[in-house]
Amino acid sequence: MRRRVLKEDLRLKKIIKNITLADWTLFLVLLVVSVAGIFITKEALPRGTDVTIEINGEPAYTFPLNVDRTIPVSGPYGDTLIEIKSGRARIREAHCPNRVCVKQGWVSKGVIICLPNKILVFVGSGGGDKSGKEIDAVTG
Amino acid sequence: MQSRDRYRIALLSAYAIALHGFESLLPTPIPWLRLGLANIITLVALLLYGFRTAMMVTLIRIIIASIFRGTFLGPAFILSFGGGVSSTIAMGLAYKISRNLFGPVGLSLIGAVSHNIAQLALAYVLFIQRIEAVLIISPVILLIGTLSGVTNGLVSDFLIRNILKKNGDKFQDLARE
Repeated sequence: MRRRVLKEDLRLKKIIKNITLADWTLFLVLLVVSVAGIFITKEALPRGTDVTIEINGEPAYTFPLNVDRTIPVSGPYGDTLIEIKSGRARIREAHCPNRVCVKQGWVSKGVIICLPNKILVFVGSGGGDKSGKEIDAVTG
Repeated sequence: MQSRDRYRIALLSAYAIALHGFESLLPTPIPWLRLGLANIITLVALLLYGFRTAMMVTLIRIIIASIFRGTFLGPAFILSFGGGVSSTIAMGLAYKISRNLFGPVGLSLIGAVSHNIAQLALAYVLFIQRIEAVLIISPVILLIGTLSGVTNGLVSDFLIRNILKKNGDKFQDLARE
């Protein structure tokens, strides 16, 4: 019994030893960068005022966030229902395989993406939508 | 290619596909969270049998698993393919350039991060085309990738150690290091 514990201990020690200093450094750097990144992106982006819906990479509709409404958008997987209610937006109903977009729930700032339907719901402020334009033209 | 190599690649690919499939069955709190368990097999293949084997195993795993799941050549497949190939290349390069600098954990982290970067870049170029969207989501993806990368690295380290202990004589060159 005691010998087994010792052996287990030795094995653990070997594993820990095999983590080099470079491994630790890389891990800590990545941790700091990602955690800092989360806070920076949260701070840098102002709270949204309107909702832009893009279909196939092209802006299709823009609605103010403070007016409640439900918008049906058709895509390759049938109709997708986008709901705007009390300053937030969500995809209420979709028929894509994973329904990642539906599971994401309400968003008051940021994006909801549905890759299969090629729908992107962007909650932001009006001035921000022009930045992606040139790239749209190249790929579209 | 020797028949021994072919057997090895088939076996490793089978393990990787099984892990890949198992992972997609796990319920996750965040929709985009993926643990990258199959990367364990890629890393073990890279460290024990070299870059060619690792790349073969990755390619076979991604193609077969996507056929099983019905996503072959779809958007999910393109993202998975780009991520898998670039992470294998990055780990292979890091291992070749700095043989003793990084252990399995460091290599796994490098693989996880390049997987994330490649997927974000592909998603940006092909599907999203909106830099704000990518910027919002990338730190979260990077954080999850770092944590799962460390876990996968520790598991790979454990696996490699046990394989070496069981049949150390087959890996003379590695044992000497």
